[in-house]
Amino acid sequence: MGRDVSESCIDSLLTEMVSTYCNRFYANKPELAARRIEAIGYQVGHQLSERYTMERPCFSDHLEAIKFICKDFWFELFKKQIDNLKTNHRGTFVLQDNRFRWLTRMSIDQSPENGTSEELSIMADNKTMQSMHLYFPCGIIRGALSNLGIPCAVSADISNLPACSFVIRIKA
Amino acid sequence: MIVCVAVVGHQNNPLYIQSFTDADDALKLHHIVHCSLDVVDERVNNPKKSGPTLNETFLGLLYPTENYKVYGYLTNTKVKFILVTTDLDVRDADVRNEVPCCIC
Repeated sequence: MGRDVSESCIDSLLTEMVSTYCNRFYANKPELAARRIEAIGYQVGHQLSERYTMERPCFSDHLEAIKFICKDFWFELFKKQIDNLKTNHRGTFVLQDNRFRWLTRMSIDQSPENGTSEELSIMADNKTMQSMHLYFPCGIIRGALSNLGIPCAVSADISNLPACSFVIRIKA
Repeated sequence: MIVCVAVVGHQNNPLYIQSFTDADDALKLHHIVHCSLDVVDERVNNPKKSGPTLNETFLGLLYPTENYKVYGYLTNTKVKFILVTTDLDVRDADVRNEVPCCIC
């Protein structure tokens, strides 16, 4: 089942996808663009989870499914596992990846702390662009989990690049 | 000989049904597949302690009818594969090996 895909192609495709949806299709509506990108990720995650759970025995509970996402699923997608998993045992999980592969090529702004209002607004723009790139992996996680029978909501947090964490809230 | 293969989605919606016999038998085979879905649900909801554990994907012989044997396989994403066969001396192990090959 092994077919090789060039990683730089994937990087370019994702960058172009985010850029097209934000700047061309839904130019002034970032929420719609974000939802569309997340929906694409949902489809991808849905189908990928079907493929990657083929040989495995069934999951006994939610924690097993999340551990599958952290280990096998993440390994298939990014050739590494999730670095840190935290849970509050009440349906919220935080998955932390210390070096998220799709963000490694993204520039990190080294702006001074007390910048002018212009610089601050530029920083805010950069933050929104960075968060746009994370809607796709959030969708992938959400699609994979919902195909395993776990409806959830996934959001991402990028307080320090290139590490990022994904927060999964399972709907009761 | 396998007379019917069916793939059923997680909301019991038929995704693919193919029968390999004469046309007038096809409806009966559809009916058998439909009935076997109930057996699958039963096995999933009441796991037998002596039988396969909750982790088994291959459900084994679901039930024998007068001419046929019906086997089931459940994936992690709740997609069910139903196999109807007339082979009376087929063993569980053979079918268990065939099903993963069919999926790929």
